[in-house]
Amino acid sequence: MMSAPARSKLRALGLSANCAEVLTHLWDYLDEQVTPTSAERLKAHIATCAQCRQYEEYQECFLRAMSNLKQELNAPHSLRERLAARLKGQGCGCWDKVSRQP
Amino acid sequence: MPRSPGLEAEESRLTADAGQLGARSASDVERDAAFERDALPWLDDVYRFALSLTREESDADDVVQETFLRAYRSWHTFIPGTDCRRWLFTICRNVFLRSRERQRPTVDLEDGEQDAVAAGSVYAAARERGYDDIYARLDLAPALREALDELAEPFRSAVILVDVEDLSYESAAEVMGVPIGTVRSRLFRGRRLLQEKLVTVAEDLGFQGAGVP
Repeated sequence: MMSAPARSKLRALGLSANCAEVLTHLWDYLDEQVTPTSAERLKAHIATCAQCRQYEEYQECFLRAMSNLKQELNAPHSLRERLAARLKGQGCGCWDKVSRQP
Repeated sequence: MPRSPGLEAEESRLTADAGQLGARSASDVERDAAFERDALPWLDDVYRFALSLTREESDADDVVQETFLRAYRSWHTFIPGTDCRRWLFTICRNVFLRSRERQRPTVDLEDGEQDAVAAGSVYAAARERGYDDIYARLDLAPALREALDELAEPFRSAVILVDVEDLSYESAAEVMGVPIGTVRSRLFRGRRLLQEKLVTVAEDLGFQGAGVP
């Protein structure tokens, strides 16, 4: 339950107190961390509230942009060579596989 | 990143042992096969994670080497059939944190209610300027990377693990050695700080919001 000062701050931002639950738990909802019952309740409110729908789209776009940052970045060959040498020094039998992998 | 004298001594002792042993036991062969099969395929992932933590290629290089050496030495503690990538990420983050121990910031976490109000403020600011479709209209990848680089620990680790590396809250909690609720609060605070930064970036770029003629 959100406190009165917090509700008032949200109102001052032009955000309805009825949307407070969405504001508080949207990331939990998008990350699938809420119970099915809570998810249904949030989903139902979002479906009827244009402001919350916009907020959901905004956050979905942000999370997609974050996820797209995972680029194909491979360990440099020089690192593989150094690691292979150190594993070899420890008696690791598969040291040569480190530098051979793409 | 300099290695501790203790570690170097241990490594040279093991190196000497390895040279003296010559013949390898069946359990050594089995361990090496498992290490090759379960750990080595994650080298690129661990490198990417290390680089996002250190932000410097040479530091990432050191962290990755240390991670795999520790993983090899402690292979007996890895439980077969569990998530090896998560296990390696845990070691990698610990190696990184130990290397930065003196620089580790201590930040007070806000409570959920304050975060909700803060998240609302960020969104309201974006909406006021007509930036609420900013992610759809601009390629923000370079700005996001830069903002992520500037994000303080422990928020950066939470955001990287969950949003970039796609780990569950539970896996991220194991990697960071904290309860799931802590991952959640760090993640939300990190996301909000990134969004704040992106509104500033949009302004710096002279981005014209949808509502601006």
